[in-house]
Amino acid sequence: MNDNTLRMQSRNTSAQALISNIAIEIENLTVNYGKNPVIKGLSLEVPVGSIYGFLGANGAGKTTTIKTLLGFRPPNSGRARVLGYDVVSQQREICRRVSYVSETNSLYEYLTISQLCHLCRDMQQHWNQEIVNRYIHTFELPLNKRVKYFSKGMKSQLALCLALGNDPDLLILDEPTTGLDPVARQVFLTTLVSDVAAAGKTIFFSSHILSEVEAIADHVAVLHHGSIVLNDEVDNLREMQKVLHLTYVEQPPAEELERLRRWPGVHLFEQEGRTVRLRIEGDVDALTKSIQARPYEPRNLEVVSVQLEDLLIEYIKGGGK
Amino acid sequence: MAIWLHVSTRSNVPIYVQLIEQIQHALEVGTLSPGDTLPSVRELASELSIAPNTIVKAYNELQRMGFIESRAGKGTVVLGKVEETVRARQQEALLENLRTLVHDASELGLSAEALQAHFEEAMKQFFTKRQQRGKL
Repeated sequence: MNDNTLRMQSRNTSAQALISNIAIEIENLTVNYGKNPVIKGLSLEVPVGSIYGFLGANGAGKTTTIKTLLGFRPPNSGRARVLGYDVVSQQREICRRVSYVSETNSLYEYLTISQLCHLCRDMQQHWNQEIVNRYIHTFELPLNKRVKYFSKGMKSQLALCLALGNDPDLLILDEPTTGLDPVARQVFLTTLVSDVAAAGKTIFFSSHILSEVEAIADHVAVLHHGSIVLNDEVDNLREMQKVLHLTYVEQPPAEELERLRRWPGVHLFEQEGRTVRLRIEGDVDALTKSIQARPYEPRNLEVVSVQLEDLLIEYIKGGGK
Repeated sequence: MAIWLHVSTRSNVPIYVQLIEQIQHALEVGTLSPGDTLPSVRELASELSIAPNTIVKAYNELQRMGFIESRAGKGTVVLGKVEETVRARQQEALLENLRTLVHDASELGLSAEALQAHFEEAMKQFFTKRQQRGKL
């Protein structure tokens, strides 16, 4: 009886997740290493079909989050669902539909590609050798050389080829392009977009290389000390922060400077004699209008957008707000 | 396929906005004509190497603005009668440029009278030339 009810419930939740178009749903997740919390109350939703960049400094908790999503590490509290399946009770379903490329990509080093493919075919239920062959060809990987003689980049490429072999609905990549040269990285990313994402599959990848996040991701989340500090569409972030350069006729009085410093959304306030530079998040127009209406109207007022990369670095450092 | 489209992922302009602007521009200059089909989301994502969701967002916005329509079996089709909308938008952008120009000129120390004189001079030059060409 109980068992049946449980099964019914889980079927319902997976159906709900499919309808709501969410590939990964994390709710108030906490994961401890011993007594130390590594993930603290993390909540996140990854839409189906998105290319989701997952950023954070070393030790921020990216890999721990990913391991929890794959069911390798049970949460201490909160919960997570992947493709509608609970990471604790339905790990088997998750493994069937999700492929994972780890940062260390531990492949059997003494095997060749052909031998590795044989092994995978035996282990996976839906193995498509044709797809794998196509990617091996794209990356120009040697079939009959032992993996231990591969470069770091070749190993990452091979790991991706194998990950795509069971035609996953969700691809989770942990720093996938570390060790790739620029050309190989380009091919790797193009393959992800044109073959995986364009087919409607979801990609969730952690990375330290901001230019690649900027290039292919449509969503980004930044993790800092186990909590999400930024989470938005990449296109929204491109315009999120502005830098204001103000040049006054003469140095404005202290209370005027204080007024600017305390304006909502202003951070990184700097002043040197008659010039003021500040960063603002949110309504720039309201601030510029207010500045222009003051008795200390500046001689020159310039608004420059903050580069996405600079914005991301600020949040990765834990600044942001 | 759509070699007239190019996006810069390093720009501060959101990618979906870049796509919208370029498709509108293609309509203005005639690269795209009413009845033409736009590449599918999948084709375009793979050609430009950008996230498919971003393209979906741009196409949805263009559809909302009345420039394109997605038709079952035919894909995304460019609609007719977009010229008026495009022209109105261009005029608006141009007048905004004019405001910026006035602002910048005053910042550079040009007096209102001087600016007006230059403006009238430019007007005179342009319309005289045009009249002469009309006579020829």
